[in-house]
Amino acid sequence: MRLNILIGGKAGQGINKVSEIISNTLTRYGYFVFNYRDYPSLIRGGHNFNILSASEEKIESHDNKIDFLITLDEETEKIHLKELKKECQILSYKEFENEGRNLNIALAGALIKTLGIPIEELENEIKREFPDKPEPLSSAQKGYNSKKAVSNLKKIEKKIWIMDGSKAIAKGAINSNLDVYIAYPMTPATNTMHEIAKNQLKNKLMVLQAENEIAVANMALGASFTGAKTMVGTSGGGFDLMTEAISFQGISGIPLTIYLASRPGPGTGVPTYSAQEDLDIALRGGHGEFPRVVVAPSNPLEAIEKTNEALYLAEEFKTISIILSDKHLAESEFSTNEKIKKPSKIKISRALPGEKIIRASSYEINKELTTTESPEIVKQNADARTQKYEKIKKFIEKKFEMIKIYGNKKSDNLIIGWGSTSGAIKDAIKGLDCKFLQVLYIKPLSKQIKKEMSKAKNIILVEQNVTGQLGRLLREKTGISVPRKKRILKYDGKPFTRDELNEEIRKKLK
Amino acid sequence: MNEKTKQNLSTNAPITWCPGCTNFMILEAVKQTLTNFIDSKKFKQTDFAIATDIGCHAKIFDYLNISGLNCLHGRALPTAIGMKIGNPNLKILTFAGDGAVYSEGIEHLVHAFRYNSDLTLILHDNQSFSLTTGQPAPTTQQGYISKSEPLGVFDKPFNPLKIALASGATFVARTSARDIPHMVEIFTKAINHKGFSFVEVIQDCLIFNTEANNKEKFMYKISDCHNKQRAEKLADEFDYNSKEGKIPIGVIYQVMEPALEEKWPQLKELLENKKNWKSK
Repeated sequence: MRLNILIGGKAGQGINKVSEIISNTLTRYGYFVFNYRDYPSLIRGGHNFNILSASEEKIESHDNKIDFLITLDEETEKIHLKELKKECQILSYKEFENEGRNLNIALAGALIKTLGIPIEELENEIKREFPDKPEPLSSAQKGYNSKKAVSNLKKIEKKIWIMDGSKAIAKGAINSNLDVYIAYPMTPATNTMHEIAKNQLKNKLMVLQAENEIAVANMALGASFTGAKTMVGTSGGGFDLMTEAISFQGISGIPLTIYLASRPGPGTGVPTYSAQEDLDIALRGGHGEFPRVVVAPSNPLEAIEKTNEALYLAEEFKTISIILSDKHLAESEFSTNEKIKKPSKIKISRALPGEKIIRASSYEINKELTTTESPEIVKQNADARTQKYEKIKKFIEKKFEMIKIYGNKKSDNLIIGWGSTSGAIKDAIKGLDCKFLQVLYIKPLSKQIKKEMSKAKNIILVEQNVTGQLGRLLREKTGISVPRKKRILKYDGKPFTRDELNEEIRKKLK
Repeated sequence: MNEKTKQNLSTNAPITWCPGCTNFMILEAVKQTLTNFIDSKKFKQTDFAIATDIGCHAKIFDYLNISGLNCLHGRALPTAIGMKIGNPNLKILTFAGDGAVYSEGIEHLVHAFRYNSDLTLILHDNQSFSLTTGQPAPTTQQGYISKSEPLGVFDKPFNPLKIALASGATFVARTSARDIPHMVEIFTKAINHKGFSFVEVIQDCLIFNTEANNKEKFMYKISDCHNKQRAEKLADEFDYNSKEGKIPIGVIYQVMEPALEEKWPQLKELLENKKNWKSK
């Protein structure tokens, strides 16, 4: 079973509230949900919509074809007409116009009844959301009572939690006892900043908004140098501004973790939509040659765990860790019943300024920690950086999960993907004869990837960018190229949907 | 080595400033200031940390045996603020040039006044980019001919002291690189100021933009000023462009306002308990 519910209206009409009530009610009822948010870059008006998918199996994607349409305005039905299944049920704002501000809650109530979920489940959720207000409850009940049940969902006993990627990155950082988070607002990275900032005093950390990303990255290096576990967050444009400081990290060896949530296009691009176009800059941003770690979680559980690993590696190896995400991971809500792995404890064992004389530099320096131009030392320092990367690589290979494999492990059809695209791939290959290799660590790359690629008879690359950036990297590292006709690349700002991707993959299977 | 300075404040690095450069005098004044603080037992040598920018001035990183970071060009200020956030108990001196702070990193200067982090910026102003061979900086006088602007500088220099006052500075001072006792006096006051202290050191470059040199004859010492209107008048007396008028040196303006480390409860706690994040 899989239900796809589209909720649409204008910004400010409470679309996310409808999704939240339905998601919470469904997950407490034992169903997994996935909530995709689609909105333009404006504050009031326009057309926003969410696609909320629900299933008794774990899902990490939404569909293109809709079973239930909830409209909060006139436009929604017109805009999405083509996506509606024949048997699609429409719940319209017109039926509840007397509910005023609680229109959205009445519509949520109507849908819960349509799905055949008992009224107590809805009432409990509304009471949790609005403990002291009678109006939302009454609107929810009115909505509920106005409909007939068309399905009959049975309660399942499961403990399911919901989270979006932004909150997960924040949780991973807080679980790691982060001390300082510095950022400048930039969609889609900002929600992580908001989340960490919210309870900063309780969590004994500090969140500072600096004047720009250049200041952010340099301040972060300063704070890390004097002993704070420090992380920064940004999107592509802000990351570009940080790249000189990233290079400074490379030579100074001051630990730093960057959360990079990318968005589509060069320039300002399409700020509130999604793409995987910034893998190249994550791998190469910053002049000179120096080690780094790039890790790309695909869902909140991985985001929590990989953020901890990134912070751990940064401190342990005095390196830079980049956590690569995008709008689709940052702002979609995922549900799971899996438990979070215990975080690695991050210890600052280096001596700090204040304790003894500690010096670092953006210049090459000698053993006396003063500037040098000696060719011998310049070479020694470069060799030391290369050796450091080898150590990082060995450590990750031994300790952390670098890839995941899903589907039919014996299949000759190998799909390769990474990051937020993984959710749609995992869901799209259900029932197909193929294996999915998800790349989690992109720098360093797992040796297993070459083995899998060599074994496969048919390799299909799925990425949300124009040039197949992971594919290019794999060709460089393994010598194996995925032919153009075997690449499924989407670059219109909209993430893959399960049903569309399923069709695309079928066409490329052997 | 002067008897007024501690021997172990020095490193073994060979000094590569031009012979006769006024940076030698700034270095000496810094060492004397630090020696006084260390001798007074108020602070240990390890309590100090420096953040240096990029340019001739930044070579001071190699000549001071103090904790510190030799930062990127234009970015010493935000890095220094970060160092203070990482450990508010450190006493931080930032060294930067007129090219670095007034040009490459001017945005950080304006915001540094807003944050009012408890650290000191010692700004070496020789009115040119010297390490890159004499291009004009934002405080270079009009008409100055260089390799990058052979037609002469068209634009008026700006007045950093006025920018400081307009940005809400809590400590603005000016001193002369040819006057070690005055530098020691001003650096000491700046370090003792609770908040962001901005000290502009007027210095000569013996190689580039030499026509801007020898301004001592226009300089006169003032008593510490705590009046904003008077400060604005004092800042107006020298326009960085002409060789006329007077150049007041001393504390141009000082006012007490909460520092960044007192405003943020997280940092205040570290400060009060003499802790860093590691021991939080």
